[in-house]
This record gives sequence, C-alpha cells and structure tokens, in this order.
Amino acid sequence: MPLDVSPKFRPYEVLPSLNVPGIPAVAPLPTGETQDTRRIQERFGDDVLAAGLHVGAQVVYIRPTRLVDLARFLRTDPRLRYETLVDVTGVDRLELPVPEGEARFHGVYQFRSYSRRQHLTVVAPAEGGDRPRLPSLTSVYPGANWPERECHDLMGILFEGHPDLRRILMPEHWPNHPLQKQIPRGGEEVPFTLTWEDPEFETLGKQILPAESVPPKVPPGMDSRRHLIINMGPHHPSTHGVLRLVVELDGEDIVRVDPDLGYLHSGFEKTAESVRYKDFVYYTDRMDYLSGMTNNFGYVLAVERLLGLEVPQRAQVIRVIMAELQRLAAHLFWLSTHVLDVSGTGMSLLMYATRDRERILDLFEMACGARLTVGYFRIGGVSHDLPPAFRDNLELFLQVMPQKIDDYERMLTLGPVWEERLQGIGVITREEALDMGLTGPMLRGSGVDWDLRRDMPYSGYENYDFQVPVETAGDCYARYRVRMEEMRQSLRILRQALDNLPDGPYLADDRKVTPPPRAELDLSMEALIHHFKLMTEGFHVPPGFTYQAIESNKGELGFFVYSDGSARPYRLHIRGPSFNNLYAIDHMSRGHMIADVITNIGSIDIVLGEVDR
Amino acid sequence: MDWLNLLVYPAVRVLVLFFVLLTGFAYLTWYERKLLARFQVRYGPNRAGRFGLLQPLADAIKALFKEEIVPDHVDRPVYLLAPALAIVPALIIWAVIPVAKDFPAVADVPIGILWILAVAGIEGYGVILAGWSSNNNYSLLGALRSSAQMISYELPLGIFLVSILVLAGTFSLVELVEMSRPWWEWLWLWLVFPLFFICILAETNRSPFDLPETENELVAGFQTEYGGMKFALFFMAEYINMITTSAIMATLFFGGWKGPFADQYVWLGPVYLFIKVVALLFLFIWVRASVSRPRWDQLMRFSWQFLLPVSLMHLMGSAVFTVFLK
Repeated sequence: MPLDVSPKFRPYEVLPSLNVPGIPAVAPLPTGETQDTRRIQERFGDDVLAAGLHVGAQVVYIRPTRLVDLARFLRTDPRLRYETLVDVTGVDRLELPVPEGEARFHGVYQFRSYSRRQHLTVVAPAEGGDRPRLPSLTSVYPGANWPERECHDLMGILFEGHPDLRRILMPEHWPNHPLQKQIPRGGEEVPFTLTWEDPEFETLGKQILPAESVPPKVPPGMDSRRHLIINMGPHHPSTHGVLRLVVELDGEDIVRVDPDLGYLHSGFEKTAESVRYKDFVYYTDRMDYLSGMTNNFGYVLAVERLLGLEVPQRAQVIRVIMAELQRLAAHLFWLSTHVLDVSGTGMSLLMYATRDRERILDLFEMACGARLTVGYFRIGGVSHDLPPAFRDNLELFLQVMPQKIDDYERMLTLGPVWEERLQGIGVITREEALDMGLTGPMLRGSGVDWDLRRDMPYSGYENYDFQVPVETAGDCYARYRVRMEEMRQSLRILRQALDNLPDGPYLADDRKVTPPPRAELDLSMEALIHHFKLMTEGFHVPPGFTYQAIESNKGELGFFVYSDGSARPYRLHIRGPSFNNLYAIDHMSRGHMIADVITNIGSIDIVLGEVDR
Repeated sequence: MDWLNLLVYPAVRVLVLFFVLLTGFAYLTWYERKLLARFQVRYGPNRAGRFGLLQPLADAIKALFKEEIVPDHVDRPVYLLAPALAIVPALIIWAVIPVAKDFPAVADVPIGILWILAVAGIEGYGVILAGWSSNNNYSLLGALRSSAQMISYELPLGIFLVSILVLAGTFSLVELVEMSRPWWEWLWLWLVFPLFFICILAETNRSPFDLPETENELVAGFQTEYGGMKFALFFMAEYINMITTSAIMATLFFGGWKGPFADQYVWLGPVYLFIKVVALLFLFIWVRASVSRPRWDQLMRFSWQFLLPVSLMHLMGSAVFTVFLK
C-alpha cells in the first residue's frame, strides 16, 4: 500500500520583491554566429529559432519537432562530430515575463565534440504548455536515458519515445514534479512530519510506531521466477552510500542490474532557487562530500562566467592548488575503498591511504578551517589567503607523496590477485563510452583522450605542464591505471603551482560582487554600503544562462545556471559525474559475477551525495 | 578404579581443554585486533584494561546481554542448531592432539588422523545449515559458496593428510609426533606446508578465503540473520578453528610439543606447542592483513586445477619415498 503523501499546501507568503523593475527578465537570444551554428542554420533553415553566441558559448534554439534530426545531424555530420550528449535539463519559465505564445518549458541539451573540442548548447521549447512534451534523444545518444529520466522526474517534461521513463530520484508515488515553479519549496507535508497538534505526539517515545513494510516492486523486465533477485542496498557495505541495486542473478552470474537512486536526494537544485548566489557555495560542498573544493570550483566558475568577472592571478593558482589537492584526496579515498571492496583485505591500504588523505585535509584546515565541507571558494576568489605555514607543509607533502603512490601501486600490482580481479571486468569500448556520455577516468580508461583541464582550460590550467593518462583497454584495470597516473600528474601540477604562486589579492576587488576587506569598513562609508548591500541583498547577475564544466576527480562536473537578473539563480542544474557514470553499471556488470558488481561500483567511483543531489 | 580412568580423568581433561580453548579464543581476538592494528598503522583496543587486555571480557559481556532475536522467516530448529553445529567440531577435534610426551589432549585413539578428517567434514554443516535456514538470499549464496569451497578444499587437504600418513605409517598423532623422522622427510613435508596452509585457510573460511561471509558482496554471508550470542558462536567457531588447525599443523609439520628438553620435563611440551600455535596464528593474521581476496571462481579454479594435482603428486612421491627409503 503506497503511503499517502498528497500535498497539503500551506499558505505560502511571498516576500515583496526587492527587485528593481525589469527583473525578472528572460535570457537574451544569442547573437552573432560561428562555423557550427552557420552550418546548422544552413541545414535546418527556419526550424532554427535562433543561433549564435551567448555568454561565450554556442547556442542553438531549435523547433522541438526537428530536435532528433538535429541531434542525429550533430552526431553524424563529419564537420560537426558532436560525439556525446553531456547533459539534459529543463527550465520552467513560469515566473519570467515570457512573450505571449512562447513555450513555458525549455529543454536544454549540452553537446560535446571531443575530437573538435567544441561545446554546443541546444535549447528546445517544449510543446504542450503546462504538460510539456519533447522528443527523446535516446535513439541517437543512449546516454540521454538517465538525464532525461531525471528531467522528467523533477521537471515534468514527458520525453516521447523514451524506453524507460520511470521516476528516478523522487519516490515512485510522489505527487508532483518539484522543480516546476508553482511547486513551493517545503510546501508538501512529508509523512514523517509530526506537528504539535498530532494525536500521535502524545505517545511519541512511549510506543513503537507501526510502520507499514512495503515490499519494493521488481523493476520491469526482471524475471523473479526463473532468477534470483537480490537487493543490494540501500544498506549494503559496498554501495558507497544509500544506493539500491536490484540485481537479477542466474546462479552467481548477473543477468541485469537496475539501480534505484534517490535515497539521498536533497533537492539542491530547488534549494538553489531560493538562496543568493554567494550562499549556494556551501551547498555544493555537501554534494560530492569527498571533493568539496572541486564542487565549489565548478559553481563559482559558472557564476563568474555569467558575471564576466575577472579573478586575480593568485586566487586562480590557489584554486588550482586546492582542486588538485582535492583530486588527490578523493583518488586516495577511491583507491582505498576500491581495494577494500575488491579484495576485502585492503583494510591495510585503506588505513595507509587515509593517513595520507589526512595530511591533505590538514592542509585544507590550515587554509579555511574546515576539512570536509570546506566552503573555501568565493565568487571572485577564495575566502582567505593561504597562511604562511601552508607553503612549507605542502612542500613537505609533495616530497613524501610520490613515494607513497609508488608504494601503493606496488602493494597491489605485485600481488597476483589484483590484476586477476580487475582485468577484463566491466569492459567499455570507446564507442560505448561516448554513447553513454561517460566522463572522467571512465572515458579516458576507454581510450578517449579528453581532459577538460587541458582541452577547455579554466582558471589558468593552460599554464601547467601535465599529461592526460589514457588507456585503451576500457576495463576496471585501465581505469585503475588512469587514476593512479592522475595522482602523479596532480602532484606535478601542484609542484608547478606552488613554484609559481604569484603575490597579489586573493579576491577580486569588484565591490559590486565581493565584500570589501574588513579594515576598509572602518574607514570608508562607501565600503560599508557595499558590504551592507552584498550581505543583505546579494549581487545581481545579468540575465542569461551558461553551462560551465570542470574536470572533477570523478568526471565532468557541470553547472548550468539560468539567471533572470535577480540576486538568486532562477534555475540551477548540476550535472554530477557520478550520476551519469553510474548509468554504465548495468552494461558493465551483465554476464559477470556478483563480486564484479562491487568491483564495477568501485571502478565507477560514485558518491551518492552527488548521484542523488 | 576403572571408572576413574574412563570418566573422571577424561572429564577433567575435557573441562581443562574447554577452559583453555575458550580463553584462547578470547585472547586470540585480542591478539588479532592488536596485530591487525599494528599492520594498519592503528592502535587497536587499548581502553579496557592495560593494553586492552580486558577487551575480550567486555565483548563477551556485550554478546551475552544482547537481545536474542530470531527472525520470523527462518526455519527455527535448524536456525538454532546451526551455530552449535559450527562450534562443536571445532572443539572436539582437539581430543586427539598430543600436548606433551605420551599425553594426548583427551585420548590416544589409533585413528587420530581419520578423526581429524571426519570432524573437519562435519564443520561445513554449521555454515551450510545456517545459510539455508536463514531464508535470506545473501545467506543462501554464502552457504552455497561455503559448501562448494569446503568440498573443493577438503580434497587436497585430505590427500595431503594421506601423504603424511603414508610417510608416518601410523594413524595415531601421538605416535606421529614421537617417532623420529629422517631429515629428507621433514624437507619433503615442509615443501608442501604452504599449500597445506592454503587449504587450511579455505577450510576455516579465513581471509582471503572468507568468501562465504564476504562482507563487501554478501553483507555477512551465512551469518547475516544471526545476532547476539548466536553470532558469537559462529565467531567462536571460526577462531577456535584457527587455534585447532594451528595445533594440527604444528603437530603434523613442526613436531607438536617437541622441543629442547621436552622429553625430560613434560611440562615443557604444552609450552612448545603454545609457542608454535601462536607463531602459526601470526601467519593467519599476517595473511589477512596483506593478501587480497580472489574471486570465487578463481578460488575454485585454484583448488581443482592446481592444488589437487599437486597434492596427488605429493602423495605419489611420498609413497615412492616410503617404499624405497624407509
């Protein structure tokens, strides 16, 4: 019996808007043209509603009826070669002054050409008004499966032709699509809420509340009569959090794996719509809680791009140091848990690697006072300058670490079992990796030579000399090799960054965006006013949207920000690498044994906080 | 005074043995945790008592006072019987192991080695029945793995035992220890000791052969539905098995209670045995801290394609040596 969670709307008072007239505003249409947009326009003619550049990115507005054709064209045309669909999301424009007759919902697609190093955003207005419909792109890019499911789940867009359009993050019986603008945040009464008027409250703590046990449904297509179906998770030692995998087994061989997500869904995207830009930095820490710095990084870059803000050199290098340290810390943790999962006896390695991770966390603590949920980055720079002792400690760390990485690699590769367990397991070919929209080490393990740091550099990565490890085997061992080598390359980048750390401000001095230094407040009335305005109202971001991706340790971490000109994001979408990479688990596991599912989970390297967001 | 010999002495011996084994089990957990901690740059238990020496006591109290939960969906009689079936063989196998000169733990039966084989055969039942009766998919998979694994590894184990038997020419462990062996026989035995040890690891479900209870695949394998003292019994069985098998290995390969002056001073026998057992236990724990676990089909392949042929060859070699050199 499903729980009754039909929403009881509380009277929802909207604060009188602080916004000046003219806000909210619709994002302006793209202007100008590029080679690619010209080619698309030539081919699709009037079906291209608008095309050109918008906030430095190529954007094409396409009529939804031609969307699938466009996708196929993008993928197959020899002069375009957009091999992969990175992200699918939607924007609900209910609260924007949309001209009469235009669609309420927009579907937003991010295409990527790895061979040509191009990025293209395609916007398709959805048909059907309040019940939006868009054609599904799964026939062209199979990897659109999960992103479209997510968009359907949260935004309510119906993707026609999608093979498996179930809910993915919210519970199956959830009454609404929470990212639609008419759904208030926190408006629904969840079944576990107790109010003081509740009669049950009288006896709370004196009784055991009767809890209905609802056996979960078997996912469609699974045969529980012929095969053994086991439920891995949500509480399982090796699913790295609250992930539930429904595994169909024939003996010990995997027939199918169906991941059930959403146990840790915390609505970051919805929350983002009601906090100011500067306040959302701290939320991003909680997403992928093993790489807080990286998440901060992606978010502040996206907002800075919309603002057109120049970040001081020193801040850029500090950011690179932090991001690379975070990559090392996350990879060390990945290594130790992966070994623990695969071999069970890796407890020793877990402890060794954790010891080194502690050193990194100590460095973080030095810089910002926190170890895990750091919140160190600010829009325009970082929150504090590096303390003097940081340099020495990092120096020490850089001296010790290369030896440690070699040691760990020897611990594993000298034993016979490790290679035996990893080689040939979870094979993903180059084509499949592109199909599924995998990123990061998953992509590089399958032979695609792509790293955002090198190929679409941000924050001055073009100034560093490092290599991008690529393996062609596509199995778990290849991904292991890629990550081990990435750790070494991170050390190289750190060494260069530390040697070339410039002096100067660590925060931009644009007073409309970054608060003035504390000392200035005592002297300058203007600084005080700026401070007051920034702390109460926040800064306004010009209308527009952008998609900013960075190479996180798990893959491509993308932030899609849609601004309506106010001080809060109108829509913020996070493309978590774990989410898209986890899609591969079914493909990787089929035909292998149950022990290999665990290997594959470890090899994908997921953090559930980011998968579910 | 026949009844004295028949009942009272054995009873006293059994009680002493139980006491020693259960205390040994308790401190083995402490020993393992301390050692593992040292391998893993940790401290291990150090709160209860000096060096954490009272930790086993605290654990025992905790296990005893836990609520006894029997899930609704289990096959109750079998479910309750299984932990007992697991621990009893681990204890009774000790009966034939000599602890000092002319002094078996309980009785010098002329079929000592057969007794070991027979009781080791029963050991699997506890695990299998636990997994089966729990009515849980994870337990079932764990039990299936365990039965396959135990059968596979009992074969080479038994053949190695037969090989030793052929060399020694006696079934009695007491005689086996006391007879003097030529140097080539020791070498020939030690040659296969690593393989024998691997079989023992598999037989006791110890890491890296702990596939029946692989926590990272099968949650806790056959013990998933067990808690409190019933779980503790499985735990005890595993650890007592470790002690027992260490004693067996010490007896078969390293001369049991033998050592300098052990012939003159009988009390030195148990001391030497203790030292050898502790050294072998160290080996168990060392392996646990450093060797990765193979996948389950790789485990099987290793047994059937490598251990079994090697054990057969060793047996043939032993037979040839016995005929021509003895």
